[in-house]
Amino acid sequence: MKKYFFKSVQISVFRVIRVPYLWLKNMSEQSENKKNESNGEWEPKIIAFVCNWCTYVGADMAGTGRMKYQANVRIIKVPCTGRIDPLFLMRAFERGADGILVSGCHPGDCHYNAGNYHARRRFAAFRKLIEFIGIDLRRLQFSWVSAAEGKKFVTIINEVTDAIRALGPCKEYQSMALEPPKDKVMPE
Amino acid sequence: MSEYDNISNEIRELAAKLLARGEVDVVIGYKPTALPGRTQPAFAYKPEDAREFVFNPLCVSGLPLYLTKAKPEISAKDRIAIVAKGCDVKNIVALQRENQIRREKIKVIGVVCKGVVGKYGRCDGKTEPKPEDLDEKCRYCDVNTPRDYDYLIGEKIESSPQSKEKEFEEINRIEKLSPRERWKFWEEHFKRCIKCYACSKVCPLCYCNRCIVDKTMPRWIDPSSHARGNLAWNIIRAQHLAGRCTGCGECERSCPMDIPLMLLNKKLERESEELFGYRSGYNPHDPIPLAVFREEDDDEFVR
Amino acid sequence: METKIINKQDLAKLIDGLISAGARTVAPVKVGQMHLFQEVRSPAEAVFDYFLARRSPKEFLFPQTEPIFSYTRQKDSVKIHPVDMAFPRTVVFGLRPCDAAGPGILDALFAWDYEDKFWFNRREQTAFVSMTCAQADHACFCSSVGLSPDAADTGADLHLTLLDDGQRYFVEAPTGKGKKLVSEFPSLFKPATDSDAAARGSAGEKAKGLITRKLDLSNVKQWLGSHFTDELWERLSAKCIGCGACAFECPTCHCFDFQDEATPEGGVRCKNWDSCCIDNFTLHASGHNPRNIQHKRYRQRIMHKFKYYIDKFGKTLCTGCGRCSRQCPVTLDIAEVLENIAAKAASGS
Repeated sequence: MKKYFFKSVQISVFRVIRVPYLWLKNMSEQSENKKNESNGEWEPKIIAFVCNWCTYVGADMAGTGRMKYQANVRIIKVPCTGRIDPLFLMRAFERGADGILVSGCHPGDCHYNAGNYHARRRFAAFRKLIEFIGIDLRRLQFSWVSAAEGKKFVTIINEVTDAIRALGPCKEYQSMALEPPKDKVMPE
Repeated sequence: MSEYDNISNEIRELAAKLLARGEVDVVIGYKPTALPGRTQPAFAYKPEDAREFVFNPLCVSGLPLYLTKAKPEISAKDRIAIVAKGCDVKNIVALQRENQIRREKIKVIGVVCKGVVGKYGRCDGKTEPKPEDLDEKCRYCDVNTPRDYDYLIGEKIESSPQSKEKEFEEINRIEKLSPRERWKFWEEHFKRCIKCYACSKVCPLCYCNRCIVDKTMPRWIDPSSHARGNLAWNIIRAQHLAGRCTGCGECERSCPMDIPLMLLNKKLERESEELFGYRSGYNPHDPIPLAVFREEDDDEFVR
Repeated sequence: METKIINKQDLAKLIDGLISAGARTVAPVKVGQMHLFQEVRSPAEAVFDYFLARRSPKEFLFPQTEPIFSYTRQKDSVKIHPVDMAFPRTVVFGLRPCDAAGPGILDALFAWDYEDKFWFNRREQTAFVSMTCAQADHACFCSSVGLSPDAADTGADLHLTLLDDGQRYFVEAPTGKGKKLVSEFPSLFKPATDSDAAARGSAGEKAKGLITRKLDLSNVKQWLGSHFTDELWERLSAKCIGCGACAFECPTCHCFDFQDEATPEGGVRCKNWDSCCIDNFTLHASGHNPRNIQHKRYRQRIMHKFKYYIDKFGKTLCTGCGRCSRQCPVTLDIAEVLENIAAKAASGS
């Protein structure tokens, strides 16, 4: 509600506040964004949460096999998909991800026996929830990629990137990230 | 003498008897307040305290909250008796399922309930509320007679819940909107959130010693009440109740900003029933859906 | 006190005039089943025939979340970006006298050991237009804390009372800011006659009659001073669930917490509302919590409002609006607690 009051103010000071607030968008991406903006092209930013034992090795396999895939993905390695809390995915969106891929071992192959089974249930519910909130489910995808499936990894990354590129930036979340908490904040 | 006077009297007598005999240390029930149209939770430690107890359609608060470790001043008592409507019993069952209570130490005084008054309904507390004044959950109630109790007060009645289509009408409507429209819908509601956390504090199943929102190392949910912080809080609150929520509606009733939280809870309730085949609050021996798995669980959304 | 008459159409014109003058104009707006103070784009959005807004208007001086500075981290230094302290001119319409009394009570606190510029800069920019109550319920007890539902001088800059004809408001301007507002739109305000003043008097009496809850608070402070531990606390507040609904709607609750929202590269330090009833309010880093159980937290709420604040600043930290009682999920009625204390004090126990 409070944001509502300031809406008119915000629009006018939005440009001014942009600089100190860029950190919210994840500073490390700033330079890249600028580069892309200077080319006049937007590039999707995709975060992949992958498990240490299967998908990460699969990605490695793609690398050693010199297979090419689109460079929009940033990989975050976790021990197991069972370690991925929905909070990780929310935070990724908050920090400017346009799309997220969660990828782990095939059912039955989990290094810890059942981590991926638990993850599957958790995300089966979570994706329904955020779909209901209004996130396009093409932005949150899941896959099983084994250590031997370098090729599948390449295909999935390319497909996810293309899907997100077609969808455009995740404006819903990004507008939130840029919004100053209250009133106006100005640089020195 | 009205039906509710009889029920109130029976509760008073039973509570006084249990306390006098030393069978329980405390009885949790309802008592009147000076505010019209309301009642409040009450705790009787001595037989004479039980004289205050009432039961009527204004008894909306969910009392099983006081059985959890979030309320140690009461739940730490050794033997507790609790006045419970059908929906409260569902919460007791859910707590039992999550090993939060020892059922044998709790005496459930089940009360047959014909529905309680809604947040904006009108009711004098002497007669049943009119259908339009009933709380939303009561329209679809299938536990007017509690499913588990040690003592039952009132005549058993059959439940006649309204149809599922009606119950999920609003959810179905929202599901049919485009993602953008759904986002707008929730943005409008969440922007009012003041992060008072009444939704979680009042929830009998939100009994964690330390809520994720209070954790700071690392800080996952922004504490400020802005779009980002409000969204993260409301999503995670709903997610943490996925497959556990029994649909008592206390969060939505308590929300001072009238955010329709039950839409989120009910949506997940339906999904967890469809995906995993469990409904919370009916069987204390059911597993918690997100704590177990089956190898043949739905795999279709995974590439 | 300067008195005037403004009719309903002219009040709409006043709101319109302020909007076109670029002022942030706030009024009660109907949202679902409740009313909230929100910025209005046209006078038609404002609803003045209402009971009480769900939330008090304190947020216009003391927002729930307020950035006090932002920072960016460089290699081995931190750069601080201060916040702009020039706030927009704001006029809040339709407050009730209990709402209007809040800022006056809190001024002393925000000026106490450190002058809070965020509060006072906003205060300077903000004018409050209160209105005599047309409705009240059993949670209202403003007359017991020295206010009244028609009081013009509780802190508002203009006070309007709807006269019997239902079309004209009797305007009182107790402050300089109020007089300035009147002089800014001279054509909208008509002179008030003696009969108008009489009508205002009777409307005020009618409003006073709406308040049915009368509490005797004369002995409460003294009792609180000698009963830090008492069976009453646990008896009355064991049911408190420890949410912040009461404090966040209260016109006078002012506790806040500093919190950083940050990435490794930088962040914003925010001042966020907090509530003494929430369990980690006094939680120490060691894990020790001096208020380790709910009735001790609720005791703090009562003590602060009816003893500590009076000791320190000479004012009761309560305006009797009754929001906390109405919105409490478990109906912990503050007036009932005070009645119990008063009874104990009277009986000498």
